[in-house]
Amino acid sequence: MAAGASSFAPTASEADGVGTAADLASGAPREAYACWSEEVGSGTGPRSHVVFAVEGMRCASCSQAVERAVLAVRGAEQATVNVATGRAAVDFDPRETTLKAILAAVAASGFKPVPLAGEASARAQRAERHGMLKRLGLAGLGMMQTMMVVDGLYAAGHHGIDAHIAQYLRLAAMLIATPVFLYSGAPFLKGAWADLRRRTLGMDVPVAIAIVLAYAASVVNTLRGAGEVYFDSVTMFIFFLLTGRYIEMSVRHRSLSAAEALARSLPATVSRIRADGARERVSVQAIARGDRLSIPRGAVVPVDAVLDSPSATLDESLVTGESAAISRQRGARLLGGSVNVGDVIELTAQAPVADSALATLVGLLERSQAQRPALSRAADRFASHFVLVTLLLAAAVALSWLFIDPRSAFGATLAVLVVTCPCALSLAAPAAAAAATTRLARCGLLVTRADALERLAHIDTLVIDKTGTLTTRRPAARVLEVREGLTASQALALAAALERASDHPLAAAFNPFDDPAIPVTALREFPGQGVEGSIRDQTWRLGRFEFAAALAGAQPAPALDSSQAGALYLGSTDGIASCFAVTDSLRAGARRAVEELQRLGIESIVASGDREEAVRTAALRLGIGTSIARLEPVQKLALVHDLQSRGRQVLMVGDGINDGPVLAAANVSCAMGQGSAIAQAASDLLLLNESLAALAEGVRTARHAARIVRQNLLWAFVYNVTAVPLAALGWVQPWVAALGMSASSLFVVLNAARLARTARRRPRAAATTGPDRPADALGAAG
Amino acid sequence: MTIVYLLIPLGAILMIAAAAALIWAVNSGQFDDLEEAGRAILEPDDSPDPPPR
Repeated sequence: MAAGASSFAPTASEADGVGTAADLASGAPREAYACWSEEVGSGTGPRSHVVFAVEGMRCASCSQAVERAVLAVRGAEQATVNVATGRAAVDFDPRETTLKAILAAVAASGFKPVPLAGEASARAQRAERHGMLKRLGLAGLGMMQTMMVVDGLYAAGHHGIDAHIAQYLRLAAMLIATPVFLYSGAPFLKGAWADLRRRTLGMDVPVAIAIVLAYAASVVNTLRGAGEVYFDSVTMFIFFLLTGRYIEMSVRHRSLSAAEALARSLPATVSRIRADGARERVSVQAIARGDRLSIPRGAVVPVDAVLDSPSATLDESLVTGESAAISRQRGARLLGGSVNVGDVIELTAQAPVADSALATLVGLLERSQAQRPALSRAADRFASHFVLVTLLLAAAVALSWLFIDPRSAFGATLAVLVVTCPCALSLAAPAAAAAATTRLARCGLLVTRADALERLAHIDTLVIDKTGTLTTRRPAARVLEVREGLTASQALALAAALERASDHPLAAAFNPFDDPAIPVTALREFPGQGVEGSIRDQTWRLGRFEFAAALAGAQPAPALDSSQAGALYLGSTDGIASCFAVTDSLRAGARRAVEELQRLGIESIVASGDREEAVRTAALRLGIGTSIARLEPVQKLALVHDLQSRGRQVLMVGDGINDGPVLAAANVSCAMGQGSAIAQAASDLLLLNESLAALAEGVRTARHAARIVRQNLLWAFVYNVTAVPLAALGWVQPWVAALGMSASSLFVVLNAARLARTARRRPRAAATTGPDRPADALGAAG
Repeated sequence: MTIVYLLIPLGAILMIAAAAALIWAVNSGQFDDLEEAGRAILEPDDSPDPPPR
């Protein structure tokens, strides 16, 4: 069943579909990506980075054991393992070691490395779920039967029972409980055994000791034919604890990020169009740059591509978080991972699967989910001492009760062993962080560093760059004046038609208004002046005033104020028809984002290198009071330092390219990006859909996550502090202890899972917006 | 009370049968996708119509 997942156990020596790091680095077997998200850094010397899932981890001590095992490999430079997400991230030097050696080291330490996405990962998850279901089912059935049988012994009580029947009942209970102990209890027994062999104390150890003690004592008493048996407790412990683990496992499996879910949903094959026009089905991994593909309605565009069909409607929500369907025209760039919600489209691949936006996204997210936030590292250290304290305490309790009342000693010791829950402590922070990361990835905010969420919750000041951040880098055209008899939209459409073939930067400003129904002939470009073309037998010109007006002979220059100095004119033989301003356009939703942040108590400051007037206008339109213009990068840095010295916690939003040092200085940095360019931005957060709206959601979620971490830690602390003394005093029945322990770690996991739960709004092919969502244009020229 | 000599083995057999049924169900993938089967009836049927008689 798990053949694929276990194929890289240390015993498997042959090449087995898992590419080595060197293979991946040289880009040879692209298929390997499907299994291991990996990238090669460009730092000093070759350094490979790989993220994979690790199965079988229960607690802090397990993740530390994996880290130690990996770091013991020569050439492994850094390893972080997160127990809540079950992810491991490893940096290593490919000259000294291979991915295979690292995976073998993980396997040798008693855990199972599993690929993150793709068929093998799905298979491993299925195998894990199947095993759990069977164990749980057997434990439940066994528990009911044992209970009924042992009930006879209890019911007899003081009245006595026929010795034959009593012995018969004990034997029957033993026969039923044994398979439950051996099969359903195996995860705890194996976990504890692996812990002991590594000379660490994991949280399976006390549980396994309790189960083994109860079972062994019962077997001895049964064979002796006298004394109490605890088979009902054994089966019940196992059933309760397994139920807890099963729910934890389901939450972990479901908390897969949206991007990863998508990586899974990639089709296995795709229809490729050969040069002769014939269709063939090829594996997604076989797609190369320049291949022509046909994507049916409802299918995922597997790679970054250029659209060949006249138009397409796409749902990019899984890549960018943008929920409205988007229409694209011929020649537009499509992101790998978009879903085709319109008719069948044809496209040309721009990159193989491994280099597409989707792969980059998944890689970044995996890396952050493998990290452990600082708070969780502290809790882990505490939890690892906790188990030792529990064992010592249990021994002390056993000894004390032997003197006080030997009959209660056994029950009290079992209760102490089972009731403590270090798991709730070590899961408190990472479970919340994982859930919050998943939720934010769905609305287009990617958290690339695990610590960033904790810091984001405390932000009180937003410093935001203007160009490329508050405003798009794409200029937008706006009509200033139009001749009578012509509407503004007609004028824009005419200008757009003239600019249709131009690749001048200004031409892009008119693109959104282009109407393919307007035919243009005799297009000519006059460098430095403008364009000329013939539309419906009339010659039109678009460009500088003198150039456009020349068609109709000399014209008096219009009286314009200086802000319109960069204006463009549309003219024909009848004279000037219209005048346009080409300006920065404000990002859609920027104003609402600023307002929402204000409501969250966050002050916004615009810091830009741009002209005073342009910056002030942008700030005013957004309702931001403080704006500082003409800032050199060094001055921006000084501004951030100054704010921090006054005790402010600064979130800096920039385009990630020019603002590097400033971003690094801020408490939390956020870059804007799209497609595969996002990998270059070294920031804590990434805004994927280039919309600021996700920022407020980010702060809200981070604060919510911080609240949940506090609740979880408090709960784990209060639970352990009250339950342990009660159990030691013998006031807690062993079965109550087992229930309490399972409930305690479930509380933590489910409390965190509330974060990931969002109203899933996925309107398919809803309001169709233009490619650039022509936002309100800015008053000042950019 | 001798009836327990019969009833307890019967109970055990019942438990074994139930466990075997569960293991069969899990192994044959009955729990793999609990949502798709319910939705399948609403999906368009892409198998061709049966040939006319």
